[in-house]
Amino acid sequence: MANLPPDSAAAAFGRPLLTTPGELSLTNYVRKAGRAVLFLLTATSVLAVFLIFFFIIREAWPFIAKYGLDEMFGSTGWYPEADQAEFGALAIFAGSLYVTGGALLIAGPLGLLTAAFLSDIVPFQARQIIKPVVELLAAIPSVAYGFFAILVFAPFLQEHLGMATGANALNAAILLAIMALPTIVSVAEDAMMAVGKDLRAASYALGATRAETVVKTIIPAAHNGIIAAVILGIMRAIGETMVVWMASGNASQIPSPWWDLREPVRTMTATIAGDMGETVKGSDHYRALFTIGLLLLVFTFILNLITEYFLHRVAKRAGGMKL
Amino acid sequence: MNRRRISDKAFTIAAYVVFGLLTLALLLVLGPILVKGASAVLFRGTVEFRELQMDEHERGDAQALAEELEAAEAARAPVFQMIAEFRRGIDIDPLVEQAREANRAYGDLLRDQNVDRDVYRDRRRAARDIRNTLIEAYETDQEAVAHDKLDKVLAHREDSIFRDTPFELIFEMARDYRRIVESVDLDHRDEYGRALDEVLAALRNLLGPLPGEEMPALIMNQYGATRWDRAQVHLENVLWAEKWVPAGPNKPMVKKRVPREEQFAGTSLAPLFPLLEKDLDEMLRPRWTVHWQYFIDDSKASHFFGGVGPEIIGTVLLTILAILFAVPLGVVSAAYMIECGGDNPAILVIRTCINTLAGVPSIVFGLFGLAFFVVFLLPWLGLSEGSSILAGSLTLAVLVLPLVIRASEEAIRAVPHTYKEAALSLGAGQFWAFVTVTLPAALPGILTGIILSMSRAAGETAPILFTAAVALGPIPESIAQPTRALSYGSYDMAVGDRIAAMVPHKQFGMVMTLVVIVLVLNLAAILLRARISRKLRG
Repeated sequence: MANLPPDSAAAAFGRPLLTTPGELSLTNYVRKAGRAVLFLLTATSVLAVFLIFFFIIREAWPFIAKYGLDEMFGSTGWYPEADQAEFGALAIFAGSLYVTGGALLIAGPLGLLTAAFLSDIVPFQARQIIKPVVELLAAIPSVAYGFFAILVFAPFLQEHLGMATGANALNAAILLAIMALPTIVSVAEDAMMAVGKDLRAASYALGATRAETVVKTIIPAAHNGIIAAVILGIMRAIGETMVVWMASGNASQIPSPWWDLREPVRTMTATIAGDMGETVKGSDHYRALFTIGLLLLVFTFILNLITEYFLHRVAKRAGGMKL
Repeated sequence: MNRRRISDKAFTIAAYVVFGLLTLALLLVLGPILVKGASAVLFRGTVEFRELQMDEHERGDAQALAEELEAAEAARAPVFQMIAEFRRGIDIDPLVEQAREANRAYGDLLRDQNVDRDVYRDRRRAARDIRNTLIEAYETDQEAVAHDKLDKVLAHREDSIFRDTPFELIFEMARDYRRIVESVDLDHRDEYGRALDEVLAALRNLLGPLPGEEMPALIMNQYGATRWDRAQVHLENVLWAEKWVPAGPNKPMVKKRVPREEQFAGTSLAPLFPLLEKDLDEMLRPRWTVHWQYFIDDSKASHFFGGVGPEIIGTVLLTILAILFAVPLGVVSAAYMIECGGDNPAILVIRTCINTLAGVPSIVFGLFGLAFFVVFLLPWLGLSEGSSILAGSLTLAVLVLPLVIRASEEAIRAVPHTYKEAALSLGAGQFWAFVTVTLPAALPGILTGIILSMSRAAGETAPILFTAAVALGPIPESIAQPTRALSYGSYDMAVGDRIAAMVPHKQFGMVMTLVVIVLVLNLAAILLRARISRKLRG
């Protein structure tokens, strides 16, 4: 058998069957060409990512070449339109950090509890009714959250909680938390659901309560997905523009004392959104904003790769567990 | 053991509480937006509103409106009369002018009668003296002096030389003024004047321009309160004065509300305030109105009047164009990755890129749209200069592309393998099996994804900030021009100008329209998905 030529009957047997007559010659080329076209269309996403990086870098590069990134990381003086222009963006980075961190502190625990609630506490039928609540929270446009923050929530903070201004880091962080929750809940819930029945059954069989099962068995087993969920939540919060632009007060300063979230801050996204309208195309200020955008893009890109890694592990685990 | 049970119960309760908080957050955010926003459409419109609608759009029954206006006018008449009366004691310039006018008319009369020259001079001098005394009476702020001067004027009222001449008006004015002097504290005339100005300003907001005043140039000043809820606010401003008073040594000033009635106590204006409070509905004639035209009208005077028609058109155009660009690409990508892809490295790269795209912050999409579509691609193709609907929708298309791909993938995956296998066994090729069997079966799922993508595209603001949106401007004639949009409009109304803050119902109306569109789309998606899952199960 070993000396049979490759196109022998035996080898042909291994090939897929040709189901339509005439597919051998011309049609096959058409099919291949069609596939190539489809592949190119599919690769548009790759092109889009490439173009985004290329064009943001293209607009940002002259600034980086002229001032260097240490101009931005070096000080808190953001005076882009002054005669002696300064582009110290430390306070702006700090602002992003403040609102994102604040949002995470609120949304992380709440999101995990909600995910556990959906995956382990309520019955399956109830979930079908409950999930839309989370979905609607995700569906509300960010500008509507911002609108609520500035016209409803800020006056409330000012009048009833005695804050000097309602547009501050706390306001933005709370709203961002609400917005990041659906992301965290849905990804974490998927991860917790993916933890098989057998683990749960084993835990209960050992006499563990539900709380113990969730905390000691399910969360450790689902930790990859939970980490991914939290990172996706961070990405949602740090990239959000409208809410922070409207609610955070837009004061380029680091709160003092450092823990005082009741002070207004200014974030990277809000700086881009707020300043771009006042810049001249091609000016240093314009390019500085693109540089901030580039930093944002690179940061979320890295976070995204990390998420991919963790989600990949979830998939592998789940695949492995089925065996 | 006991402690474990308690902690377990606490955990369960905490989970329920957190979920309750989530629901509460949803209601707290949506509630004010929807309720206050609804008042842009459903409210108690006043006669001023109906007049505005008639003037601007010829809506309504002209006959009925004329009758209503007449009735309102009649109800308002006492108010204006009271003000005119009070004004005579406060604002002396018109009085002085009137006195001079009467004197001048008297002089003209004498000239017409061709009286003897000496007589003419004497009578004119006598008349001038009386007039000057009256003006002095007007100008003094001491009650006794005023009375004294008025007595001097009135001493001449029986003089035969003035009988049946225009000069008799002078005596009538003097009599009027004596009555006023008795009721108004002349010392505080300036104070009253300032307070009256405040009252008049508030009253103009309430009832429109006062009779005898020139029609204001701005349309927002041409009408009184068009809505009963705003009328209440303006009424408050008429009825209450806000004063900053010192709270004590070394303390900041505090705002204090003083009733106007108290401020004007004892004057002829005092009865105005209870009258306004009592008869305001007669003066404005509020009626429940469904102003559905809010959704089609253009805005007037920076959204002071009018609706959100152009914003809706802009948002719909941006959304539909974005979907038209994104859906074919997205569905083809999804189909290719599932049907032809397998797990080769190219697909892995594509998948990573799709996830990257999904994670790019929306403001970065805005920057990209600006740098690529607005500055580079569209001018290069000669399609548009500057921001345009086309640039905005292309940017949005890139933003929703990963959503469309993921949803389509999921929908195609959910189609049972047996469908395709059956098609293949009947002799269909891979391509036709997909197009005629798998795709139709996946269509409802894909549609769900498309609807959700539309909702996302409609709600996004940051990507269209630099690429398509303007706050105010003409309705675009082509997609090469920028447009207003609900999302950017909501932002602009919320933080924008002073005018927007005067019309909260318009602020909330704009964002309500956006939220309703998004919610309806999402509800449709949820229902569609429920139907699919029922079908798949059954």
